[in-house]
Amino acid sequence: MESQIELIYEEIRGRENAKLIHFIGDLDATNVETVLEKVINLFNDGIVKLVVDFKQLRYVNSTGLGILLHFSKSAKEKGGCFKIANINENVYEIIEIIGAASLLEIYDDLDEAVAAIE
Amino acid sequence: MPSTLKTDIEELTATPGVVVVRFQGSLESETISDIEKVFSRVQMGSSVFAVADMSSVNLISSAALGELMGARKRLIELGGDLVLAGVILEIRTKLNLMGASKIFKMFNDVRSAINAYKWETEKKSEQVELTFPSNLKMVPAVRQLISRIARQKGYGNRDSFRIETIVDEICNNAIEHGLNDSNLNIGIKVDIDPDKIEIDVTNISDPEKMFLLKTHLKPEEHQDIHNDEKRGRGLMLIKMLTDELTFNISEQGTVVHVKKVREE
Repeated sequence: MESQIELIYEEIRGRENAKLIHFIGDLDATNVETVLEKVINLFNDGIVKLVVDFKQLRYVNSTGLGILLHFSKSAKEKGGCFKIANINENVYEIIEIIGAASLLEIYDDLDEAVAAIE
Repeated sequence: MPSTLKTDIEELTATPGVVVVRFQGSLESETISDIEKVFSRVQMGSSVFAVADMSSVNLISSAALGELMGARKRLIELGGDLVLAGVILEIRTKLNLMGASKIFKMFNDVRSAINAYKWETEKKSEQVELTFPSNLKMVPAVRQLISRIARQKGYGNRDSFRIETIVDEICNNAIEHGLNDSNLNIGIKVDIDPDKIEIDVTNISDPEKMFLLKTHLKPEEHQDIHNDEKRGRGLMLIKMLTDELTFNISEQGTVVHVKKVREE
């Protein structure tokens, strides 16, 4: 069975081409394709400034981390951003071990991440 | 009607070092002296690992909880511990809210508590072996099972999470480097004791993909995380999270062996 993951979208008031996405569940090799498709669709619709809330993202593995790096790179190439907030300490450890903490834009909370959108 | 509390101490001859303290009634201000008395008897004996059987307790006040915490502290100073068993759901919820679940180890029943004590003290390992179809969709259930076993065996949240990650990455590797045939199985063998967990994952390897795996095993290939090869990242993660990692690659298949020492 695939791991469960749900993406809930929210508008960000006062920011154009932007969206807040809450990730809920586990992100791994069984569901990266689904998540990839959803985020690529947003990029294709011109939504390139993304803030993602990981408060309820319980788990991420190396495959999941791979697409997060991909989203970050793609968003920047399109003149946008991919900002991550509220990472739990277990998930953060994985990001740090891989050496991706310096490549991703990580914030302690949502307000800080939203305020950093240019 | 005044509160009543019955107490009883049972020393287990079959498990030296363990006593079961049975409570029946309410643990509150009026019965604190009974709690105090029973634990002073426990501390006088040679047995210092106490299991408080709470299955017939209908109330634990904050004052009584404080008394239990004091008893636990004294037992720990003597090299033992006090754990709670059989706490009814309503009280367990209240204890969680009071933060007591972070202090006391809690077990569903006395037997589980005694088994956990024996497992910790006798240092005997336990083995779990399973096979599953070589399909990525099977991995989440497997990794969560192994992680839950570790947690149940007393490994902390962080260790259990790391074990889940290790199992996930090794199994994904085994499937992606294995022959592309979902009729084939992946084998996983877990050997867990109070100090460490050892995991062996076996697959039937695809010779062409093995070349790729061997390339990844060269240390210099792990450094660039921009590398799009996702399995390279997975292997790096396994290396960083484990204390020992070996590969036994043969014509018959590959056995990946890892050892992770318990940290908490």
